[in-house]
Amino acid sequence: MTRTKSVSVAATVVVTALALTSCGSGGGEQVAADKKQTLTVWAMGEEGTRLKAVTDEFTKQHPNIKVKVTPVGWDVVHQKLVSAIAAKKTPDMAQMGSTMMGEFIALDALEPVDTKTFKKSDFFPATWDSNVKDGTAYGVPWYADTRALYYRTDLAKKAGIDKAPSTWKEQQALAAAYQKAGAEWGTDLQPSSTGAWQSWVQYLYSAGGELIGEDGKPALDSPAAIRAFTEWAGYFKKGLAKKTFTPGYDVTKDFGSGKRPMFQSGPWMVRNIADQQPQIKDKYKVVPVPADKTSTSWVGGASLVTFKNSAHKAAAEQLTQYLTTPKTQAQWYEADKALPANKAAWDEPALKGGGDSLATFKTSLDTAKAIPPLEKWNEFAAAVEGALAKISQGADPAATAKALQKTAEGLVG
Amino acid sequence: MSTTTAQAGTPGAGPDAVVPKAQDDGAGPDRRRRDRLSRHNLAGWLFSTPFLVLFLTFMAFPIVATLLMSFTDFGLRNVTDPLSAQFVGLDNYTKLFQDDKFLKALFNTGYFVVLGVPLTIGSGLAAAVLLNSGIDRLRTFFRVGFYAPVVTAIVAVAVIWRFVLDPSEGLIAGLGHQLGVQTPDFLGSETLAMPSLIMMAVWRNMGSAMVLFLAGLQAIPTEVREAARIDGAGIFQEFRRITVPLLRPTMLYVAVMTTIGFLNVFEEPFVMTDGGPSDSTLTISLHMYREGFDFFHMGYASAMAYVLFVIVLAITTLQLRLLKDKT
Repeated sequence: MTRTKSVSVAATVVVTALALTSCGSGGGEQVAADKKQTLTVWAMGEEGTRLKAVTDEFTKQHPNIKVKVTPVGWDVVHQKLVSAIAAKKTPDMAQMGSTMMGEFIALDALEPVDTKTFKKSDFFPATWDSNVKDGTAYGVPWYADTRALYYRTDLAKKAGIDKAPSTWKEQQALAAAYQKAGAEWGTDLQPSSTGAWQSWVQYLYSAGGELIGEDGKPALDSPAAIRAFTEWAGYFKKGLAKKTFTPGYDVTKDFGSGKRPMFQSGPWMVRNIADQQPQIKDKYKVVPVPADKTSTSWVGGASLVTFKNSAHKAAAEQLTQYLTTPKTQAQWYEADKALPANKAAWDEPALKGGGDSLATFKTSLDTAKAIPPLEKWNEFAAAVEGALAKISQGADPAATAKALQKTAEGLVG
Repeated sequence: MSTTTAQAGTPGAGPDAVVPKAQDDGAGPDRRRRDRLSRHNLAGWLFSTPFLVLFLTFMAFPIVATLLMSFTDFGLRNVTDPLSAQFVGLDNYTKLFQDDKFLKALFNTGYFVVLGVPLTIGSGLAAAVLLNSGIDRLRTFFRVGFYAPVVTAIVAVAVIWRFVLDPSEGLIAGLGHQLGVQTPDFLGSETLAMPSLIMMAVWRNMGSAMVLFLAGLQAIPTEVREAARIDGAGIFQEFRRITVPLLRPTMLYVAVMTTIGFLNVFEEPFVMTDGGPSDSTLTISLHMYREGFDFFHMGYASAMAYVLFVIVLAITTLQLRLLKDKT
């Protein structure tokens, strides 16, 4: 185990990289869009591999622009981007996860979006908002994901419930009915560990709460937040959801076997279920997250950003434009099953006949809210997860929320 | 966990090692300097240049930079301009000892070492003794078997152990089910998560201890054993009075390397529990990693690295003192 060493090594690589390139380019001279040039793009994971096909199409239309796509793993991208920025050796463009935006905006590494070319009204509002800091947009929404409720209709029927749960009350009643009818757990709900915030924010938003209030301060001890914490914790308190969590747990299998007949997740699960549990094809449904005051989910996904240091900003804008047109977005949906962020793309044939689950995500995206871009999002999320872990084990929601609010106030501002 | 970790601060062979000893005798400081740089030593310097360059760039520089960084508030915003980080004196260090998470991590690491190291050494020694004297047939098979976990990638190990410990369809749960016993959720329970990781670490590391002990055992002359037997020593007496004392140098090496490896424990909690449940498996290295790379508190993480370094140094020194060959 060489962690001691690698922290120091990585830290210094950042510093050295800097020292060596302190006279590096500041992105001063721009290459015009019609000149011959190579555009470098970093894209994450599977998308990095699939993007190549789409950019080939772009090169056909713009023979002078060569696009070099570098796939980067999600697990390392954060570190690689930070090192690249420190060394002033960023790519021209990158795909950026919605929760990473705040950090890179704070680093002053991103070029503001030209709002004459890209219109906010073309995209789902939340996908646009997660790129906006102090009124300036720094990324163009590429694809979106949002949370919805998956539940087993066949088991619900067996438990005596015919209707899709549309309120918190109905959702909890369904979970209890499932368990009564023999399911090991009424629902799947992640109690702690990295990513647990994703199981809770939809409750917060549906209760009318906010992560960051209008005054720019965290609003994690608001009455709505405490209401959301209490409702969320109810599943653990009543034994409807498992209190412990194993990192890397994937609900697909237990959903197929009926051990956990309900969960909330994103659009990719439709594909996972079709691939891994084909036997339940017509035995489950996807509906918007159940409502308290409203049914409001949150939006994740990715945006396309251009780096300040790039010398090919004009070409980058052309590629961004190409990737966000309705037609390309629909093609991208077919290739990657990622939901288009551009609203008009949903009128394309590929998406129109997409079935019920797709319609559910469309409805959810219309009303969903953004995760605000925060410089210290990772810490903020970890603080929320720490509080959730305590509450799931039985701590008082109001008191925990108060302590969380205090921690969070130190992270925002 | 590999026990071959090069620790930050381990002195490499410095330039002094190049100077032939004989020339040092009786030479004043001036003479010495001239000797070191003389033509005579040029070849030596040339040969050691690749090592020195690598050492200075990738070891000495990071070590010094981390030390300096631990006195600053180096964070994300300083990435583009490292010199803008503010010196904060010992703030990071004082903050560390008020950080509940760090104290918990310190305790967890201690727990891991105190239980894990003796178990690893004990089982390694037992396996080595059995392989050395008891088992004749299939010796290679067992040796490979015990050593395999050492060279297996941690990700593969994690997959296997997740399956073993899985509360609903794991190996242990399955066996328990056959016997009609309810088995606990090992990794989900705050009290059992750490012992589970310790078992896994022992399983992973006993192989290297075993190989070292085997080598040590084979170096014990058979005459000594014969003499003991003729004098009427039983198996246990022979083990206590002959094997253990003669294995002392090996024991020292294994103890030091295992302890260093266990103090730096990172991979096991990282792949198995993510430090949970409720931080019950959060170790210093894991906490450091999160502070440094997830939150980018480089200054704070560097301070943590140095605290861990001092702990490792202190414990190693103590072990060297206590276990040193007194004969």
